[in-house]
Amino acid sequence: MLATVAGLIARRAVAAIPILLAVSALLFCVLRLLPVDPAAMSLPPTATIAEIDAKRSEMGLDRPLPVQYLIWLRDALHGDFGRSIALRRDAGALVAAALPATIELAVAAMVIAAVLGVGGGLLMFHLRGTLGEPVVDFASILLLSIPEFLWGLILLFVFGVALRLLPFTGQVAPGLPLPHITGFLLVDALLVGRLDVFFSAWQHLILPAVALGLAFSPTIMRVLRSSLFDVYHEDYIEQARLRGLSEAQILLDHALKNAALPTLTLAGVQFGILFSGTLLVEVIYSYPGIGNLMVDAVRNADLPLIQAIGLTYCVVVLVINTAVDGLYVMLNPKLRVR
Amino acid sequence: MALTLRRRAFLQLAMGAAAGIGAAAPHARAAAGADAATIGWPNDVPSWDPNQRFTPDAQPIFKAVFDQPLDQDPQLKLIPHLIKSWNLAADGLSMAVELRDDVTFHNGDPMTTADFRYTFFERIHSGVKLDTANSWKKVQDIVIESPTKATMKFDSPAPTAPQWLAFLGSYMVPKKYIESQGLDNFLKNPVGTGPYRLAEYELNSRIVLERYDNYWGPKANIARVTIEIVKDPSARVAAIQSGQTDFTINVPVREAQRFQSEPGLAAELDPITRVILIQMRADLAFADKNVRLAAHHAIDKAALSKAFYGGAAVPLSVLATPGTPGYLDDFTFQYDPALAKELLAKSNFGPGNPVKIGFATTNGQFPSDYDMARAIVQMWKQVGIDADLQVIEYAKYFELNRANKLPETTLYSWDNATGDPEIFSGYQLNPKMPFSPWKDEDIGQRVLTLFGVADYDKRIAGYRDLERYAVENGATVPLLQSVVTVARKKNLAYTKYANGWVLPQTLQWS
Repeated sequence: MLATVAGLIARRAVAAIPILLAVSALLFCVLRLLPVDPAAMSLPPTATIAEIDAKRSEMGLDRPLPVQYLIWLRDALHGDFGRSIALRRDAGALVAAALPATIELAVAAMVIAAVLGVGGGLLMFHLRGTLGEPVVDFASILLLSIPEFLWGLILLFVFGVALRLLPFTGQVAPGLPLPHITGFLLVDALLVGRLDVFFSAWQHLILPAVALGLAFSPTIMRVLRSSLFDVYHEDYIEQARLRGLSEAQILLDHALKNAALPTLTLAGVQFGILFSGTLLVEVIYSYPGIGNLMVDAVRNADLPLIQAIGLTYCVVVLVINTAVDGLYVMLNPKLRVR
Repeated sequence: MALTLRRRAFLQLAMGAAAGIGAAAPHARAAAGADAATIGWPNDVPSWDPNQRFTPDAQPIFKAVFDQPLDQDPQLKLIPHLIKSWNLAADGLSMAVELRDDVTFHNGDPMTTADFRYTFFERIHSGVKLDTANSWKKVQDIVIESPTKATMKFDSPAPTAPQWLAFLGSYMVPKKYIESQGLDNFLKNPVGTGPYRLAEYELNSRIVLERYDNYWGPKANIARVTIEIVKDPSARVAAIQSGQTDFTINVPVREAQRFQSEPGLAAELDPITRVILIQMRADLAFADKNVRLAAHHAIDKAALSKAFYGGAAVPLSVLATPGTPGYLDDFTFQYDPALAKELLAKSNFGPGNPVKIGFATTNGQFPSDYDMARAIVQMWKQVGIDADLQVIEYAKYFELNRANKLPETTLYSWDNATGDPEIFSGYQLNPKMPFSPWKDEDIGQRVLTLFGVADYDKRIAGYRDLERYAVENGATVPLLQSVVTVARKKNLAYTKYANGWVLPQTLQWS
């Protein structure tokens, strides 16, 4: 099985090369075609028009677009994604520093979305044909119709302002240190033995993660319920009943395993979307991840930084899809045989 | 030994858990004790090299960690700081300065004229990309006469050199430390001479400042200030309301007004040296002076202030704010829609035959910009000006202006912490500047001449004439003096600066 998964990962890695090239070229062209002037943005307001023109030439913005792209690509292959115009720091290093916070947030949110999605899906299926069905159906549609940033604001005002139960700015409480070892705060807090930092980081993670999780859970709920409906039409479910298994055993031991496969595929796709959904939630909760960085980069027309972050999103989506496919192979015996 | 270690580990775990539980308690107070405060701030610093980027919002943070050679008092009067005295030559080609001899950087190194020369001359020629390279490009050399005395030499008159020593990016940095430790280390562990030293920094998240006890000037009132970077205005409102921060700025006007009646909280709308104006072109439909003046007379600035700033923004007739040298107390440009109609009629326009113009605005670049533009469009419509409102990104502004593609009018906000008229109308009407759509030779030449006048009184008088002349010729439409909104715990006082600075070192619990 491991050999099959390893082969799949290797094939995906090779296939990712043209995808990344295409995405980087597209991103590069779109950014360069925007009617913004990075040269003017990179100079102080006292700069004259002549100085801006000189800067444009220095930045290579007066060269043909394909030449600009090839220069960028050559540098990127050497690990140089250019310098942020606004922050004048290495764009790659800025992304690398902010990425762990976003990964922590996205993983926590996905866990919440999965728990709520699977739990909600099972509940919806369990209540099928009862008076409770329209109620949970309505609840799932309501959840589906509220975007993550709105959840962010709702939770912030309810749990942060009205009830004052949870903090909602930054990663830890003022006065606590931020250890830097791996970049993943929860891990680093444990590595340095600071449980106070660990608990505080969890507290700060709860609201943004729940906001994201709530927004993405209803899709999982609804797909799981549909999959369960399909599975329940299969013969082996009827045979299981004839064997005298309880409905709970049939649901959890037989139906859920098979219904989980399409749900898993969807969860993989959702995780990619959820990752990009961190953008606004990070701004609302002052969470120092790449979403927050991206908002500033867009505001400042910081093309090198936007390019680096955009490419990072692409890599993350490719990695998630590969991981999901690997899991799919591990869970589905038919694919292992092939 | 094994038992000791286990017990120690257990104690550590227990203490950590207790702290965690403590932290889990409801959040009522941002900073523990009267010797700490937490500020919700809308933007991070661009970098910890204070010379690198001109970012107005970051100046109060830089001013906590670094010192400027000269400073401004709350009314913006230029005052000695690291420089005890200065003397700008009559021709504006040199300026002698004398530094204090009791200043140390946070690492203990004394501050001398070597640091001054390094900051304002050597660094900007060293190849490091600094915005100050632009503001100090006239510096030919800085001649050191002693550890406290030096003379700046300029290649052309620099009449606003003293103002620039207290303006954007002009912060003293340590020559010895940067040269020995390298720029990267300086950026990670910045060393200044300011009232606070940087204790902790997390990009886009928070800045922790600790009082520098060897500071040469008045010590900061609060020992530890945590600045939480909270970019979203709603989150800043929520943070102050829930007690997670003690002080914040730039909250929506209606929220600031609400906080004024909230128990335990206080809020202010402070007018500052920021001007909201309409930038004009001198061609297209605005080649006609009657149309330009009609567009100005048609705008009810008091109504705009009432609608969007709770009446706190002061209507302006010139491109300067009250209390600054270029402001004209005796000049008012009247709101007069009837006169606007008359002027338009002279050019054969009117409500039945409106003149068509373009009007660019940003949406969200400054508070209520888009809504204000929509209101102005309606005011213009009443007199016979049909404006096509176009929303542009701020980043797009420079490209459009460079390509001469901005429409006849653009709603704009202009910040000038010094209050000096050169940085108000001088920059706004200088056709060589990237943010001036006005390309008329007459006014442009007047501005360029004033850029070379070294005598302060003559220069100010020249700008005062220019302010009136520019408005009377329809070269600009000053609208309002902008406001900064402040929300805070009622018992946390601060010093109000006319340019909107909120300096951590002036905060004080009562």
